[in-house]
Amino acid sequence: MAYAPRSSVPDRPGSMVESHRGYDPRLWLFYGLLALLLGVLAAGLSYQQLGRTDLHRERETVQSQRRVIVPGPRGNLFDREGRLLVGNRPRFAVTLNLDELRTEFRREYLRVRRNYRETGDKDLPNATQLERIARVSVVQGYLQTVNRILGVREKVNAEALERHYSQARILPFILLEDITAEAYSRLLEQLPVNSPLQVYTASTRSYPHGRLAAHTLGYTASDDYLAVNEGLPGAELTTFKMRGSVGRQGLEAALDARLQGQAGGAIYRVDPAGYRLQPALEKRRPVQGADIVTSLDLDLQRAAEIQMAENGLAGAAVALDIASGEVLVLASHPDYDLNDFTPRLSEKTASEINAQGAWLNRATQGLYPPGSTFKLVTALAGLRTGHMLPDSQVECTGSYQVGGRVFVCNNHRDRGIITLPQALEKSCNTFFYHYGLQTGIDAIAAEARLHGLDRPTGIDLPHEARHMLVPDPAWKETRRGDRWFPGDTANVSIGQGDLALTPLQMVCLVASLARGETITRPTLLHQNPPEQQIQPRDGIAPIARAAILAGMEAVTNTGTGRILQTPRFRVPGLRIAGKTGTAQKATTQGILNFAWFVGFVPVEKPQIAVAVIVEGDTPGEDVAGGRYAAPVAGAIFKAWADKSGLYPPVATTTAPPSLAP
Amino acid sequence: MPRFDQARPFLTLGLVLLVWLVLPTAVKRVTRLGFYELQSPVDIAASYARDLQDFWSQKTRSKNELIEAARDLARLNASYELRLQDDARLRTEIARLEELLRLPSYGDFRAEPARVVRRDFSVWWQRLVIRKGANHGLTVGAPAIYSGGLVGRVSEVHANTAVVELISSPGLRLAAVFDGDDRPVSFQGGVNAPLRPAEALLEYVPLDVFATAASPRRLVTSGLGGVYPPGLYVGEVFTLEASTDGLFKTGRAVLDPRLGRLTEVTVLVPLDPAP
Repeated sequence: MAYAPRSSVPDRPGSMVESHRGYDPRLWLFYGLLALLLGVLAAGLSYQQLGRTDLHRERETVQSQRRVIVPGPRGNLFDREGRLLVGNRPRFAVTLNLDELRTEFRREYLRVRRNYRETGDKDLPNATQLERIARVSVVQGYLQTVNRILGVREKVNAEALERHYSQARILPFILLEDITAEAYSRLLEQLPVNSPLQVYTASTRSYPHGRLAAHTLGYTASDDYLAVNEGLPGAELTTFKMRGSVGRQGLEAALDARLQGQAGGAIYRVDPAGYRLQPALEKRRPVQGADIVTSLDLDLQRAAEIQMAENGLAGAAVALDIASGEVLVLASHPDYDLNDFTPRLSEKTASEINAQGAWLNRATQGLYPPGSTFKLVTALAGLRTGHMLPDSQVECTGSYQVGGRVFVCNNHRDRGIITLPQALEKSCNTFFYHYGLQTGIDAIAAEARLHGLDRPTGIDLPHEARHMLVPDPAWKETRRGDRWFPGDTANVSIGQGDLALTPLQMVCLVASLARGETITRPTLLHQNPPEQQIQPRDGIAPIARAAILAGMEAVTNTGTGRILQTPRFRVPGLRIAGKTGTAQKATTQGILNFAWFVGFVPVEKPQIAVAVIVEGDTPGEDVAGGRYAAPVAGAIFKAWADKSGLYPPVATTTAPPSLAP
Repeated sequence: MPRFDQARPFLTLGLVLLVWLVLPTAVKRVTRLGFYELQSPVDIAASYARDLQDFWSQKTRSKNELIEAARDLARLNASYELRLQDDARLRTEIARLEELLRLPSYGDFRAEPARVVRRDFSVWWQRLVIRKGANHGLTVGAPAIYSGGLVGRVSEVHANTAVVELISSPGLRLAAVFDGDDRPVSFQGGVNAPLRPAEALLEYVPLDVFATAASPRRLVTSGLGGVYPPGLYVGEVFTLEASTDGLFKTGRAVLDPRLGRLTEVTVLVPLDPAP
């Protein structure tokens, strides 16, 4: 029997056979439209991917990267011998890197929420509140570790934590600030190396000498507007800056641009929640600012301030190197401790400083009538104009009549003929009334202006007084609408009236006089070797200068400044030229005395010039230049002489012990 | 099929890893600790065998050599006796001064000598396994010393063994001071390749501290951190460089090469451990 294979296809015609009807032409339109749309998409994609690559990369970078800026430490300030005046000290803090706690925050959140639900608390906080609670809880847990190690009981400041978390979670959160070296050591040893808790070091200003030269050195304050070096990459990124500092007073402010360090920083990639991903993509270390050598002399400054503190009265002292104009001493009393300004000044301390009137730098900002020290200007003016001669003399009777007014001279008891040197020695007012009137206010004012007494000295300190005053008829007419009287001239001749000068101006005057020049440009920056002052000569004849110097030397030997020859201040062999002054000023409390001393040493080869002012604080109290101001100058001269080595102490001879027969 | 057979080991490894990954942390911890406890008898037995080997090698020495060694030992004992007396006197003096200045006393330690069972040196950690553990009162964090100074601190304690993390390990950090100075500096073990002289990193060194190859400075423990007693030798510093921020110096301390060859250490177990 033949076997016929079965067909695999069932013979059911019509049911399984497809009939090809061809494509509907309308579909082509659809295909075309589809192709067009796909083309547009492809073109758009290509354009975005190829044409706008840079833009997207930039956006991606801005969105996913953050820049952290760290301020550079400030430069140091040294005295002229390289001794540190202002430096930086490390400030240790315990910080917590929040970006390493993301998982812990989440776990704590779930735990807190579960607890609330289990206890059936109806006041279930919302999700944001729960997150906050969880964060505080986790951070407090870490703080407990620190508490255990250090034996303290600190608590997390929840507000500060929230602020930090929302604004700068990329930066470490500071748990404890300004910890001691011992605490730092304990944490260093007991915290694991890879813990989110770390010991963070920042730089803060340090003033090893506390109050010394406080007004001159100045202080800094925190600064949120940290200048960023242009070379630091990532300018387009969201930037977090750690707080820097800026000079607010004194040299810290004047030299801020040089002292300011270069900020460093790092760029981190962050996740969408703003948590930092380690390690940094780019890092640059901060660089310390420039070190600056000032012209101050620590020993002289200290000597001046000790003596001023002993006086217990407000005042100022300035000493200059005569040849270079470099400031050796610039002290103002009362003062403040510069270390109180770091890390920040407390309100209590600020109000104490305020109450003492210690903010004012009396050396550069205090305006005082110069009193009898101005007689040097009157003498120079008289000698220059020829109204006064080196051997000019006047008979002092204790009073001098100018017009209808009698001007008294109570400065000395020795009435009679007074010469120029004697007038300076005894500070005779009659002599200077007489020759001042002869010389005339215009010549006296011109002399003062010639020596720069009508304008700021231009010292490299901020806020130097600008309203110093050398009065003359034109000024009086303009300012007061009144004419100038001879009595005004008499007053100005002895440094009274409307004259208002700073101690710094007076020391410049004395330095110029010592050099035989008209101007001295003071500076607080030391150069090695010091740059010599080259200023116009004053044109005073040698014989006239000799008469002035003789008078000034006599002041400190036998005159009003003879306290400098007492054992405490006397330096054997050191010849001192000086001039005392006691000015009166009417205040709301009454008439106060201002004691002055200006001078220089040594007479034969002038090296340093000094000006000292001491403010009386009680009306009627006899605060005289010779008693209050000259000792401060004496302390400076003595310190200088000790350092110079030119004046070795005279060996005191003691009698040999007698031998018993 | 052959292809699958070839891949089977990898598949098994992958499965094991997967199982390890999904295991609860507690189980992992128990497993890890169990491994140490199981391994420790083997390590201890090997250590005793080495000691026995050393003993028999010493037995081969001549009588004269032994007599000479005994004399040396007697001299050494005598000098130690003297130093002990000195120490007692100094301790009394320190206690008197502490009393006078109202300073807190440093906690006392109990010395627990222990033989080194195994050395575990890599770039990332440098550790010793010692032949004493919790059964001998050792605690985590206790400092370990040797005749040359500080060895490190106990990082893990098992029943009969303990792991000491060496000062050359990057995971160990302490507050050290330069000999003659009282300002603490940060000392942290460096990334040290095995068989090379170990170094450590120094940070926060005050600017007025100087060290050169000609006049190196000794580094000792500060005693301020509450873990290590003061004055233990840590290393020698040959160079210090100012950091760019101008605040501190940084440098490297060279550690004693004997640290890599130690056979015995002494663990200082605090008598009054911190709570």
